[in-house]
Amino acid sequence: MTEEQLGLFLASCLRLAMPLIIAASGELLSERAGVLNLSLEGMMLAGAFGGATVSLATGMPFVGLLSGIAAALLVAASQAVLSVTLRANQLVVGIGFNILVLGATTFLFRQIRGAGASDLIPGLPVWRVPLLADIPILGPALFQQSSLFYIGVLLAFGTWVLIQYTSFGLAIRAVGDDPAAADNAGIDVAKTRYLGVLYAGAMAGVAGCFLSIADLNTFTEGMTKGAGYLALASVIFGNWVIWRTAVACLLFGTATALQFLLPNLGLEVPVALLLMLPYLLALLAVGGLVGNIRTPAALGLPFFRGR
Amino acid sequence: MLKSQAAGKPAAKVTSDVPILQLSGISKQFVGRAALRDVSLSFEAGKVHCLLGENGAGKSTLCNIIFGIHQPDTGEMRFDGASFRPSEPADSLAAGIAMVHQHFSVIGAMTVVENLMLGRTYGRLQRHRAAEKVRALSEAYELPIEPFRLVEDLSVGERQRVEVIKCLMREPRVLLLDEPTAVLPPLEIEALLDVCRKVAARGRAVLLVTHKLAEISEIADLVTVLRAGQVVDSGSPADTDISRFVHSMIGRDIASLDQTLAASLGTKSEAADDESKAVNTRTKVNALMVDGVSYHDAAGVRRLDNVTIEIRGGEIVGIAGVEGNGQSELGAILSGLATPSSGRVFVGDTETTRANPKAITAAGAGIVPEDRHATACVMPMSVAENLFMNDLRRFSRLGLVRRGAMLREAEDLMLRYDVRASGPDAPMASLSGGNQQKAVLARELSLDPLVFLLAAQPTRGLDIGAVSAVYERIRAARDNGVGVLLISSELDELLSVADRVLVIFRGRIVGELPATQSSREAIGRLMAGHPSTEIAA
Amino acid sequence: MSIRVAARSLVFVPLTFMVPILVVAAALGIGVLLIAATGASVPTAISAFWTGAFGSSYAIGASLNRAVPFALVGLGFILAEKANLINVGGEGQIAVGGMMATAAALYGAANLPPILAITVPLLVGALAGALWGGIAGMLKVKRGTNEVISTLLLSFVALNLVYWSVQTTTLLRKPQTTAATQPESPVIPQSTWLPPLTSDPASPLHVGLVIALVAAASIGITLAHSTFGLRLRAIGLNPLAARRAGMSEKLPLLALALAGGLGGIAGAAMVQGDQHVLKIGFSSNYGFDGVVVGLLSRGSAVGVVIAALFFAFLRSGGITMEMLARVPSAVVWICQGLIVIALAGSAAWLDYRAKKGRGR
Repeated sequence: MTEEQLGLFLASCLRLAMPLIIAASGELLSERAGVLNLSLEGMMLAGAFGGATVSLATGMPFVGLLSGIAAALLVAASQAVLSVTLRANQLVVGIGFNILVLGATTFLFRQIRGAGASDLIPGLPVWRVPLLADIPILGPALFQQSSLFYIGVLLAFGTWVLIQYTSFGLAIRAVGDDPAAADNAGIDVAKTRYLGVLYAGAMAGVAGCFLSIADLNTFTEGMTKGAGYLALASVIFGNWVIWRTAVACLLFGTATALQFLLPNLGLEVPVALLLMLPYLLALLAVGGLVGNIRTPAALGLPFFRGR
Repeated sequence: MLKSQAAGKPAAKVTSDVPILQLSGISKQFVGRAALRDVSLSFEAGKVHCLLGENGAGKSTLCNIIFGIHQPDTGEMRFDGASFRPSEPADSLAAGIAMVHQHFSVIGAMTVVENLMLGRTYGRLQRHRAAEKVRALSEAYELPIEPFRLVEDLSVGERQRVEVIKCLMREPRVLLLDEPTAVLPPLEIEALLDVCRKVAARGRAVLLVTHKLAEISEIADLVTVLRAGQVVDSGSPADTDISRFVHSMIGRDIASLDQTLAASLGTKSEAADDESKAVNTRTKVNALMVDGVSYHDAAGVRRLDNVTIEIRGGEIVGIAGVEGNGQSELGAILSGLATPSSGRVFVGDTETTRANPKAITAAGAGIVPEDRHATACVMPMSVAENLFMNDLRRFSRLGLVRRGAMLREAEDLMLRYDVRASGPDAPMASLSGGNQQKAVLARELSLDPLVFLLAAQPTRGLDIGAVSAVYERIRAARDNGVGVLLISSELDELLSVADRVLVIFRGRIVGELPATQSSREAIGRLMAGHPSTEIAA
Repeated sequence: MSIRVAARSLVFVPLTFMVPILVVAAALGIGVLLIAATGASVPTAISAFWTGAFGSSYAIGASLNRAVPFALVGLGFILAEKANLINVGGEGQIAVGGMMATAAALYGAANLPPILAITVPLLVGALAGALWGGIAGMLKVKRGTNEVISTLLLSFVALNLVYWSVQTTTLLRKPQTTAATQPESPVIPQSTWLPPLTSDPASPLHVGLVIALVAAASIGITLAHSTFGLRLRAIGLNPLAARRAGMSEKLPLLALALAGGLGGIAGAAMVQGDQHVLKIGFSSNYGFDGVVVGLLSRGSAVGVVIAALFFAFLRSGGITMEMLARVPSAVVWICQGLIVIALAGSAAWLDYRAKKGRGR
């Protein structure tokens, strides 16, 4: 393997991992508050779609980014109303939104494309750190990525600070572990959970935009292809702790990157097995290697006062 | 997220004219039962007001209404003379009411400091500054606590201290305590009552909910008695005889209570004879043998340390100790839900060390666990289904359930054990606590063969009638040659019911004493971890 | 019971039936609006839909065939749900079921006597599905792994396994004669095909329907009246108490294996009954839709059958609508998503109102 190949591989690993890291950070916060968002996939797809269409329409990718976030927030808000206020089954609602968003984005995309839209969408700029990017192998991988990559790193880090060092984070943790006790302490459980879901939605929107306007610069139907589920798995693998979750995402990114590397090295590995690898890793993680999992005690359970 | 900031009010000047909190005509109805009926009472600054009543009398409901967890159907509350209608705890907290809950409201996964900061800080968490405040309060009220420990690692008594400090930090004008002494050893009860006195002395109103008469006489300025949701009596212990309150509380005279029942109220009966202590019925048959059992939990902490217990048929052996000293783990091992790390267990002649619950039942062990809801019953399922859950094969034909037969036999069993419900197909959850416990006893005591019975905290949360029934059943089992292990944190209960008492502390049996009143002090000391000067072999 | 409470319950009962109907009607109405928005002619679209769903004995036969995997996966779902286990891995269980049934059909079952030639691949498919569900069950019992995540991940693994098997000539791929040969299996021998149910040559309806109905009846009876069903219920409501009562702690494993097995049969039936060839992605979301069928039926086997039929006709109509009236089937997905969400929301709302009525 040449130096160049290695460098490209590392860059791919990071690039493929980042949307997962962003989405997973948001989901981690929401799950710490006790809400499981199976609709993460749908939120990411909505973000990707929103980002792509508006970026194409306005020619301004950052406006596209904001729209992508808004689209994802729309899904997240609806999800929150159903899960938190109406206390509907979080799983059903999640799956329902995934179907709905897939249908809606596909439908709208075909309508728009029918109007003669081109496939190449203005994307977010790549940021290059002057001297550091010239370091062989690691340079391009770490210091020449999309702007959204670096924003993503900050977001992930910021999420952790939020959880550990602010009163909001304390409320999130309380609400996910023992909502009754949190209620007795005067915390507004519903509001906290709402904010958790919206946070996950916003992050998912950013992650979706990463796919459509930072990485591939295009939108295809269902382009998230299960990335949302991988993000969910990585949160569990990460034991609801940010750095471990990020490691999981890196592993998944690497597995996906191998798909492109191995053929280049002349290794005849069936595509299917490489595609399978991230899911297999996630499965091993949630099943075996993780050890003592510390699930937020109230995860998935709606809160009723006086029960 | 804070809804409203807790009011940090300075200690109010004591004015005995306007009560801080006044309730008039409060009624509350739940599904199918009236929890409270036309309750009126008032709380004055600087006074400790005790709310006395049996389990099920409505005391907790009243506290929950004051704290905003429930809303009354009728009646009104006035705080400092102004109308007061909290719709959620945050409202009560804002007004200056704090509550020490019976089942603690602290979050295990967080540290003490974090629990205390919850709902009280904005923005950046400053753990160390908060720890300073905690230490200050802890010293002022003599409630030792370490700020940076995880709450789940704390003992029950320590957790309650956190709960109390959490309340005190808000500088409340009214402090509610819901059955706080239920889980404390005798020494710590004193300390808690002391805290109540100090809080009242600073001009607050204190409401202490309890069913223990001993505490009343110690600390109450005012007593109100609740029975079946209504106020039936109120007065001051200084002017009145305690027995009057007992009479109001249970509708019977203290003189007519047998010693055991009196013991469960924390008071002494005037009945002359110790009729409940049976003639020695101890047989030569081994009912239970626990031989050098040690147990490490999932985190590797040693919960049981070389425990040896020998019970013969026809005797009741009690285990005294504050909750959390290994009793739950012992119960789990005896039920087959946990495996000892070393040592052996025998039920009768059968070794059950590594046996699963099915085998243990087959060996003749009946288990009445300490937490009905968690381990003994499936609440949403019917009484009949719960009664025969261990033995479904008896009612199975070709894999299908013979419901008719099951219901008929259930009815029979319910009649024999006086389990009251709307029918054998009523959901277990619809029964009162006492009837649920009677059902569990019915199930376990009808085992055939029955060699050994484990009764862990069997009368917790039960009203006097049910307590009486439970003691009767346990004694009857003993008289039939069953060996009984009675685990209880109520010392008086053990002294009245058991033949001899072992004391457990930090997972070890630290002493064995005969179950008479004279052992009381020694047992109390052993329970708290102090060596007793007289330890029987 | 006071008059008010009585009156409320009179109004309430019809509400539980009315609401789902209203929801479905509303969703379909939105679908119609979307069709109009695409510029297609609504009457043409609706007639195309009708033709595809009910229009001919072929259409009806095909629709009923589609209902089979929906029903089987849905039944597996409610079986596991009784024990409080959420199996969302129907898609993967179909995939491995179909894959192994194809393998059995291609590698020997064809030469067996007629009945065995048909049933052996079905059984192999069932076992494969059961294994797939069982893995999740094992993880749950031994490690406490959340079965929602594990069954979901297993689905994706399974889909790729199918992909791999039809890519590799040594496995299930048909011999490559030209560069354009599609990656798929050879056609399975006719002796392993599921026999037709009617004598109508135009109708593709096969015995899968019988299998599904028998399964529905057995599962319904099991859940409501058998000791096994009682045990599942106990384990689902209070695993600790159930264990204490002597019930095996391996019950979750059994429940998930059975659910998987049903999915496996569904996959085998799809290959042996309809497609006769194993292709990449042959499960085409039947598994996920089957999960939705299970979720919506709220534990009732009858509900599963009704929901399965509904989804089946919906899908048939949608396909034809796309073919004949050029309306993207994404419209059907939108309707489906809306129905699922609205039903979940309304169910929760009804529960909430019921609790309020009884007083808390």
